[in-house]
Amino acid sequence: MTPTKHIEMRSVRKAFRFFTLEDLSLDLEPGQIMGFVGPNGAGKSTSIRLMTGLLAPDAGEIRVLGHAMPEAQALAKRDIGFVSDEMRLFGHATLGWHMNFIASIYPGWDAQYAKTLVKRFNLRPEQNVSGLSSGEHVKAVLLLALARRPRLLILDEPTSGLDPVARHELLSEFMDVLRDEDRSILFSSHNTVDVERISDRIAFIDRGRLIDSSDKEDFLERWRRIQLQLPAGATLPDLPHLVSRVDDGQFVTLTTNRYSEDLLAFLGHGVRQVQRMSLEEIFVANVMHHRELRGQ
Amino acid sequence: MNMLTRKLIAKEFYLHRWLIIGSTVAGLAGLLIAAEGKVRFNIGMLMWLTTIVAFGIVLAMFAIANERKERTLQFVLSLPLSHGDYVRIKVVGLLLCFLVPWFILSAGAVTLIAVMPNLPNGLLPYAVLLCGFFLANYSLVLCSALHTASEGVMTLVIITTNMGITLFIFMVGALPSLNDHLMDPAPVWNSTFWTVLGVEAATLVITLSLPYFVAARRRDFI
Repeated sequence: MTPTKHIEMRSVRKAFRFFTLEDLSLDLEPGQIMGFVGPNGAGKSTSIRLMTGLLAPDAGEIRVLGHAMPEAQALAKRDIGFVSDEMRLFGHATLGWHMNFIASIYPGWDAQYAKTLVKRFNLRPEQNVSGLSSGEHVKAVLLLALARRPRLLILDEPTSGLDPVARHELLSEFMDVLRDEDRSILFSSHNTVDVERISDRIAFIDRGRLIDSSDKEDFLERWRRIQLQLPAGATLPDLPHLVSRVDDGQFVTLTTNRYSEDLLAFLGHGVRQVQRMSLEEIFVANVMHHRELRGQ
Repeated sequence: MNMLTRKLIAKEFYLHRWLIIGSTVAGLAGLLIAAEGKVRFNIGMLMWLTTIVAFGIVLAMFAIANERKERTLQFVLSLPLSHGDYVRIKVVGLLLCFLVPWFILSAGAVTLIAVMPNLPNGLLPYAVLLCGFFLANYSLVLCSALHTASEGVMTLVIITTNMGITLFIFMVGALPSLNDHLMDPAPVWNSTFWTVLGVEAATLVITLSLPYFVAARRRDFI
């Protein structure tokens, strides 16, 4: 039997006055970590609000852990840990109160794991939430989500505003969550370094549209920057799967999203250098390419 | 009432416990001052009245508008509940939070009038109507807070409801069939009393039901 997809979005549309999320289709399989990457205002938070039932789509279908959203959100959220950088806890209550509160609601609350996280994140349960720094606050929210051992973690920019050490700690915890193969994470960020570190699948979103989605390794294998030196007077023929081309006299820099040995053989002796691209470079090139195609 | 509903209602009591306790104490202090004689009666009752009204406004603003503004709403909505559950829990939880001091302070005021020898018991119907008005007034503020995210609209609602209290005190108190009996030694529960009480009850029912039909059915919650 095929296991239920943890997230299924089909042709989802959501229109606001100045922004429209258009034709979004996305799948997250059990055990996957998906990096949901996009520039500011791309539609990441809107997509996540649709997944968590906070918003209802104008068109299309959303199922999370097999439940239709937003109709069955109460059922779905029993197994979802949702953390957003905008989410705030009750300032006048202590972290300990929040832990007891969540523990009383979720039968799967792992008190031992919660204690471990309190120590690892250097938090104090007796401290009022209003006294926490922004980094501590994010850690506290994550603790409350992680210790309920959800099948699906949805994280909306969880590491924004954190120092590198705190980010490292949190990313390690996310990896820890996935020791259980039935759990999965959707991780939205514009920080491609974090995404590259923990994700096994990447989806790029820009201006309300999903522009590309694939396994991380597939992205890293497909994308290359190739530097050529053309003989004087020679011209380069039209090439398929070319994302960008920059000419500088005899030198040409090509970016392709379908790199292969065949392409290299076709380009011949003029090739001076073939560079692998980081996820950030792929992300930027991908976004710019799609904006050009759409004439934006 | 399921476990989650009970926990979330208990959460409202916990988070607003000092507000509930403080308002009850302040209102009771007002009643104690009012019990000290004719001159202090007006000061004490003004303190009592202000406490109940201000408590209702602060409770609704803190528990709903501030939850939205301070972004704790996202945390609450990440729990396994629907938008309808959230609205239902807010209505019930915040009504109960208000009812505790309201009941104590209303009972205190009625007892004060009944016990104080220099206060005519004819004031009792008016006092009961005034307490009923406070409850209806609170339910209107609560209903508005659940329906609008606009601070401007809420400010307008608060100003209007506060003006409503002044209007109620003077207009209902000036109704001849009530006013004529204020100084009577025994309370007169006539048809005017029951009509005004009926209007208050209807306002309460409408304003507490409306969120179930409108706010709870909103498809976008943030």
